[in-house]
Amino acid sequence: MVDRTHSLVADRTRCIGCVTCTKACPTRAIRVRDDVAAVNDELCIDCGTCMEVCPNDAVRPRTSSSADMKRFKYTVAVPSLTLYAQFGKEYPPGQVIHALRTIGFDEVYDISWMCEMVAGATDAHLSESRGPWPKISVTCPALVRLVQIRYPDLIPHLVPIETPRELAAKLRRRRLAGQLGLDPGDIGMFFITPCTAIIHSIVAPVGLEASHLDGAFSIAEMYGPLLKAMRDHPGSDAVDAVSVRGLKWAMAGGEIAGMRNANSMTVRGLHDVIYVFDRIESGTFRSVDFIEAYICPDGCVSGGLTIAGRYTAQRNLQEAYRTLGDQATVKEEKVRTLLREHFFDVESEIRARPIRPLASDLRHAIALKREKDALLEKLPRKDCAACGAPDCETLADDVVRGLARLSDCVFIRLAALDQRKPNRKEPIHG
Amino acid sequence: MTGPTPPLADGAAEEVLYSESFRIVGNDFEHGGEVAARVKAILKQLGFPGDAIRRVSIANFEAEMNVIMYAEEGTLDLAVVPGGVRVTVADRGQGIPDIDWAMQEGHSTATPEMRARGFGAGLGLPNIKRNSDEFAITSTVGTGTTLRYVVYAGLSAEN
Repeated sequence: MVDRTHSLVADRTRCIGCVTCTKACPTRAIRVRDDVAAVNDELCIDCGTCMEVCPNDAVRPRTSSSADMKRFKYTVAVPSLTLYAQFGKEYPPGQVIHALRTIGFDEVYDISWMCEMVAGATDAHLSESRGPWPKISVTCPALVRLVQIRYPDLIPHLVPIETPRELAAKLRRRRLAGQLGLDPGDIGMFFITPCTAIIHSIVAPVGLEASHLDGAFSIAEMYGPLLKAMRDHPGSDAVDAVSVRGLKWAMAGGEIAGMRNANSMTVRGLHDVIYVFDRIESGTFRSVDFIEAYICPDGCVSGGLTIAGRYTAQRNLQEAYRTLGDQATVKEEKVRTLLREHFFDVESEIRARPIRPLASDLRHAIALKREKDALLEKLPRKDCAACGAPDCETLADDVVRGLARLSDCVFIRLAALDQRKPNRKEPIHG
Repeated sequence: MTGPTPPLADGAAEEVLYSESFRIVGNDFEHGGEVAARVKAILKQLGFPGDAIRRVSIANFEAEMNVIMYAEEGTLDLAVVPGGVRVTVADRGQGIPDIDWAMQEGHSTATPEMRARGFGAGLGLPNIKRNSDEFAITSTVGTGTTLRYVVYAGLSAEN
């Protein structure tokens, strides 16, 4: 598809159709057809699991290029807090920010203080909201996509507050345009991202008409150049504005750590998200006020586009907290003023994108469901994925939807061959 | 679309478009909620509106947990009817001595262990009733309890 918005690009020359990604995909969005993995864009949440498990490096993130930067008169790097966590104590945030400027950005805009602001705004929302409970954080864009697709009934639970990265970009662009006398469109804001889901959230935002960011570079691709810059051109920018409370957002649990409301939970990793969200949907957890949840197991530090492992990254962060000292950098009055201006509000409605039923007509859907159950009886239930679908049930589903054939199953084909052999009476010629 | 005819009405022969039966084992907390989840998956595939699925699922979860907590065993029968979804949950168990009492919010006979697991707030039966459009309960002490509830859902099959 030409106008795909998704952040993961399959390299058809590298893909051998091995079904590793097909089986790993949490939304069962991938099928192998003609020995190449194909993604169903409707189901993809850009979590990056396929990229992580691919043994052939055939799935690549669609990041920005230096040519994209040249389109702008003034460029701003907006680093994910996870970037700081990549380097040990010899390279504190001030040096990382300095290095980003060394390698070509006109400016670096830190978002840690905005995280602290959003924590305050979330507290205010929780104290004013009348439910439904629990409220769910929108920080992880892969989680928001999962809710749209798999838990559409939970959309009213999502906190209607924009993410710190978008708010920071919005605020900075507005100020810079005034200060520099530039057209806002001449300013390029680039996020330095730990994951593919954020790239997708910039290209195809949810809850926003258009992203305030213009593109993204991955932490993984910036790591080498930054390390080199810090070695070759040592120096440090002032970090007065770096908020330790904000920095904590890089790790699961960091969001609620800075909040006043303590009736909250952190849900880590896709497996646990599905476990908990299934239960939220059936009405459990109503007594909880707030849930922060991440598709990645330890939050952003475990994103697929990082270099330091999540354990190293978390140790690095702990060190940074100690060095910088925990003090509130955000004045509550400032949060209240911005709340009154509706600065934090999401701009547009988050829409449900539920999985399509077997048919739009109930009787037809029931007929197909019966057909699917009958097919499933015939299938081996080995979930080998050799047919190109992740498991037997999905193949049966694809068959009744007209997207696959029962004979795609190798066991069915083998059985058909075995049946034919003994009946073969006529001699085989040539 | 005209209003759906009440599918519970006088038990007259009514077209069941789809049915499936699920077994629930008493005290099997390990698998608690699985029947409700399976029914939810079926209703999603059949294209029921989100609100109807949500209400059926909440009721099913409560009913399933009631069987697990209070009965020896039971069955949940799902029936898709032209007017919506009808669920019958019948169990073999201790029964409810005073249904009117049990139907009031906050009334529960849950043990401390059950309460520790987040159950026993006395909201189960009232919650099922609140989330369904028709609700009936019969119970015999020492024999068991049968719940029947219906959630209306306007679907194209009625047209």
